[in-house]
Amino acid sequence: MEQVIVNSLILGMNYALIALGLTLIFAIMNVLNFAHGQMYVLGGFITYYALQVLHLPFVVGLVASVVVLVLVGLLSERLLFRRAIRVSTREESTMLLAAGLALLLESLILLFFGEKQRGMPPIISGVYQVFGVYIPAGRAFVFAIALASLIGFVTFMQFTRPGRALRAIAQDKEVTALQGVNINRYGALGFGLGAGLTGLAGSLLATIFAVNSGLGTAVSIKAFIMVMLGGAGVVSGAIAGAFVLGFLESFGYAYMPGSVTYMLIFAGMIIFLVFRPQGIMGKPWG
Amino acid sequence: MSSYFEARNLDVYYDKVKALSDVSMVLGEGDIVAIIGTNGAGKTTTLRAFTGLTRIATGEIWYQGKRIDQLNPDQIVGLGISMVPEGRHIYPLMNVRDNLLMGAFLRRDKAEVKRDLERMCERFPFLKERMRQQASTLSGGEQQMVAISRALMARPKLLLMDEPSLGLAPKVVREIARSILAINREDKVSVILVEQNSRMALKLSSRAYVLETGRVALEGASEELVNNEDVRRLYLGA
Ligand SMILES: Nc1ncnc2c1ncn2[C@@H]1O[C@H](COP(=O)(O)OP(=O)(O)OP(=O)(O)O)[C@@H](O)[C@H]1O
Ligand SMILES: [Mg+2]
Repeated sequence: MEQVIVNSLILGMNYALIALGLTLIFAIMNVLNFAHGQMYVLGGFITYYALQVLHLPFVVGLVASVVVLVLVGLLSERLLFRRAIRVSTREESTMLLAAGLALLLESLILLFFGEKQRGMPPIISGVYQVFGVYIPAGRAFVFAIALASLIGFVTFMQFTRPGRALRAIAQDKEVTALQGVNINRYGALGFGLGAGLTGLAGSLLATIFAVNSGLGTAVSIKAFIMVMLGGAGVVSGAIAGAFVLGFLESFGYAYMPGSVTYMLIFAGMIIFLVFRPQGIMGKPWG
Repeated sequence: MSSYFEARNLDVYYDKVKALSDVSMVLGEGDIVAIIGTNGAGKTTTLRAFTGLTRIATGEIWYQGKRIDQLNPDQIVGLGISMVPEGRHIYPLMNVRDNLLMGAFLRRDKAEVKRDLERMCERFPFLKERMRQQASTLSGGEQQMVAISRALMARPKLLLMDEPSLGLAPKVVREIARSILAINREDKVSVILVEQNSRMALKLSSRAYVLETGRVALEGASEELVNNEDVRRLYLGA
C-alpha cells in the first residue's frame, strides 16, 4: 500500500510537468498540442541516446533533452503555428497542424532511434528505506528533480517579469500587447517552455519506464486527461489533474488486471466532466 | 510644422466593412482632446488604429515627428502612448499589484517603478489595501482606476482613454473626471478622451471631434461645440 502511494507521487510529479507544458501552450497560444506525447518520447530517446550510446553522464542527457525540446517548441511556433494562427480564422487549423506535427515527430523518432523499446539502468543504484517503505534511489532522484523543476516553473510564472507577461497573455492577449509585450516572442517562449517541460518529464521517466517510438499518442491522451480533469489553462489544475491520474494509474495497475485501469479512468473522467465540465480548478488561468 | 500627434485621412476596414473614412485629427502637446459620437460611430476603432491594434488601410499617423502607423502595439507603447481600453480589461485573475506592474512592463528603472506604485496609491488611496487582492473582486469604479493606473505605470506622454465613465455611478464619474484633469496638469500627460458622456468630455477637453458613422462630422473648440445647436440636440440632450 505505502509502496503504491510512493509510486503514485513519483508518477504524479512527472505527469505534472507534462500537464503544465500542455496547459501552458494552450493558455498562451490557444493551441491543443496533439504532438505533446511525441515531444515527451523525443525527450526520453535523447536521454537514452546520451547515456546508453554515447555513455555521457545523466546530467548531459537531461540538459540535452530539455534544450532540444525547447528548440523544437520554439521552431514549431515560429515556422508552423504562428503562421497558421495568422492566416486562418478556424481553430481546427492549429489542431490539424498539431496532429501533423505529431506524425512528423513520430516518424523522425522512428527513423533516428528505431522501433525498439529502450530502457536504461537506474541513474543511482541503491534503495532508501523511509518509514518501512522501500524507495529505490533512482526513483527518489527522479522525484526530486521533477519537484525542483515544478517549484522552479511555478516561481517563474508567479514572480518574474516574463512569467507575469505569460500569465497576462493567457488572460488577455490584446491588452497585453498594449502593455508593450511582444506577443509573438512570448508565444514562442510559451511554446518552448511547454515543450521543454514535457521533454524534461520524458528524460526523467525514461530512466524508470522504457520509451519506444509508438508511445507518443498514449502520453498525449494522458496529458489531455490530466488537463481536462484539472481545468484547461490553469496551473493548479494541471498539477491536481496530474496527481489524480498518477494515483489512479498506480493503484489501478497494482490491484487490477492491466487493461481495466484505463477503461475505468476514461469512464470515471466522462462522468466527472458531465457534472463538472470546467474540471477541478475550473477557471481560465490562475 | 508637424503637430505633436496627427492622424491624416485614415480609412479603416473590418473585412470589407468600412469603419472609418477619411478621419483626420490633431492634438497639441499637453492638450486634452475629446472624441464623441453615438454607438458604432467609430470611436474605439479610431483609438485602435492609433495604438496599432487595428491596421489602417490608408492614411498616416504621426507622433512627435515619427510615422507610427506601421508599428506594432508593443512598439507604440514604447514611444510613450498608452491606452485605457473600453470596458477596462484589467487582468481579473491577477492581483492589483501585478496588474500595475504589467503597465510598467517595458520599464527597467525598478526603483522608479516602485515609487510610481506609491504615487498611484496617493492618487487612488483604495489601491493601497488592495494591492494583494485579485482584481476581479474590485468594484467597477475601482477596476477603472486600476486600468488607468496600469496605463500610467508606463509613464506615457500621451494617454488614450476609451469611455472611462462607462457604467459607473455619477459620483465615481466625477472622481474619474478629476483624476483625468490631474493626470493632464500634474503629470503633463496629453489625453485623447473618447466618451459617450459628451457633457463630461466637452467640459474636460479643449478641442473635440464629433464622429458620425466613421466620419468626422464636426470639430472645434469644446466651448464652441457645447453651444452648437446640433451638438446640444444630438449629444447633450438639451
Ligand atoms: N471587430 C470588428 N469586426 C467587425 N466590425 C466591427 C468590429 N469592431 C467594430 N466594428 C464595427 O465598426 C463600427 C465602429 O465600431 P466602434 O467600436 O469603433 O464604435 P464606437 O464608436 O466605439 O462604439 P461604442 O460607443 O459602442 O463603443 C461599428 O459599425 C461596428 O459594428
Ligand atoms: Mg467603443
